[in-house]
Amino acid sequence: MTELLGNLSRDRVFYLLVAPFAALTILLGIWPILLSIQVSFTASATALRPNPTYVGFANYLAVLSDSIFLASLWRTLLYTVLSVIANLAFALGFAILLDSTLLKRGNLFFRLAIFLPVITPDVAGYVVWRWLYDRSFGALNAALELLGLPAFGGLSSVDTALLSILIAELWHHAGFYMIIFLANLSIRDRALEEAAQIDGATTWQRWRYVILPQLRPALVINTVYALIQFLKTFTVVVVMTKGGPNDQTNFVSYYAYQLFDQARYGEATAMATILFAIVIGLSLTAYRIGDREPGR
Amino acid sequence: MTDGMRANRLLQAAAYTVAIGTSLLFLYPYWWMLVSAFRPTRAIMSAPLRPWPETFSFQIFSEIGRIGGVNLSTYVFNSLTITTLSTLLSVIVTALGAYALTRRPKAPGFGLIRYGFLITIMYPYMLLVIPVYLVMFKLGLLGSYAGIILFLALGPLQFFLFEQFFRKIPNEVIEAAVIDGASEWQILTKVVLPMAMPITATVSLITFLLNWSQWFPIMVISRSPDTYTLPVALLSMNSELGSNFQGIMALAVLTTLPVAALFLLAQKRVMEGMAAGAVKG
Repeated sequence: MTELLGNLSRDRVFYLLVAPFAALTILLGIWPILLSIQVSFTASATALRPNPTYVGFANYLAVLSDSIFLASLWRTLLYTVLSVIANLAFALGFAILLDSTLLKRGNLFFRLAIFLPVITPDVAGYVVWRWLYDRSFGALNAALELLGLPAFGGLSSVDTALLSILIAELWHHAGFYMIIFLANLSIRDRALEEAAQIDGATTWQRWRYVILPQLRPALVINTVYALIQFLKTFTVVVVMTKGGPNDQTNFVSYYAYQLFDQARYGEATAMATILFAIVIGLSLTAYRIGDREPGR
Repeated sequence: MTDGMRANRLLQAAAYTVAIGTSLLFLYPYWWMLVSAFRPTRAIMSAPLRPWPETFSFQIFSEIGRIGGVNLSTYVFNSLTITTLSTLLSVIVTALGAYALTRRPKAPGFGLIRYGFLITIMYPYMLLVIPVYLVMFKLGLLGSYAGIILFLALGPLQFFLFEQFFRKIPNEVIEAAVIDGASEWQILTKVVLPMAMPITATVSLITFLLNWSQWFPIMVISRSPDTYTLPVALLSMNSELGSNFQGIMALAVLTTLPVAALFLLAQKRVMEGMAAGAVKG
């Protein structure tokens, strides 16, 4: 009994220590999320009043039958898949290159060059990219012209807008995925590779059956991070395209924000809840698949 | 043997070409931004690729001395103050919280706090900011520094780095202190905190870099440009019609340079810390 009381009084310190953290989490995390979910069940015009009118799933039905939202959701998913693949492929490729024995010097320089954009304020980076793509100011088309290559449509063309922001976002994010691959590569078991070499494995076989399986943790982490990252794509759209041209880059976060700006709170928060569910569902699925590890 | 060596040489040359080429492509936007900040808008339009400015003058920084009716120095001051204070608050609150949660994972309510936090960081950030606006309104913090700083104090990376560190402290170390009759407060201040200095430095550095870049919560919680930071000012300047291109580039330089310099000074700590914080997630 005294021991239990002693434990409790010792625990009191921990409640005190956790209190500010818990307060912030509740005040600026849980409460807004619940509020957002609550608002998604109310009529927009009454959403901010003390006694809002509840409309059940009407906002969700409205959103799910809104063709702009469905197109936006489809765009978001397509962009996410393309971005995850492009970023991870680039990051893995560059990490392997930096880890190989081929580069004897300059390793730190290459690493810094690729990672610097990660800590560069995204607004600043995307502002520069926006103008790099510009037809009259931009360096990109000037360079293409110099090389005698056809002009790149950049942000103003329906065909190239998605690709343009994908490149700018890759520039900003890929360094982060790269250092995770590098960290994973540096702790791998090199004895296994030597053994494989002695057994006569080709370079490809060594990569495919010895090294790649060991990179599984980094692959899972990077996939989950990149999925969450690109599903939420927002800043790049605000800075570079405002959803255009012709809704080509009007992703869910941006569309929801626009509705919010128009005081369509119910629909905006319904979209937020739908996106939240997708983020959680996909992340959990990715972890689940990653955990289902054969032979370990 | 010589054939093999020649093939290796070729492979090496290819590896260097790819590595150098990609690195220069990644760095070019910085160079272009820097050069454009020193060139008149008309000069850039006629020769966008010119690798250095025609003349070298800091005139532009006085031209953008006022943006959106607010002094440039105010934005600089806001950036420094908001970033520094939110970093301090974030490190203190998260360190203590993560410490309590790792020392007593089974204490009633602690699991709930941890899950609540994990759910919060899964929520699409920019969509969380919107209901946060309503909460700030209810708390009367709209348009205040306090509201901005409080919101910027919560971050996943900070939490994971501290949690990971506290989990690695051997139980024997704590038990030895308990046997010596130390109170929990003494254990924290005399045993744990001294050990946690390096991780605290890493987390502070990374939080500073991350919070310096923040813009959306600051824009939403602000009631006027008086509480804007550099990235927010840059965004509003960039959204203006017929904007001053040279001025935008100069402001982008001002927004980027401090964190780029800080990162280059402490690159090892930042890259290792960010990788470690993610691996936990």
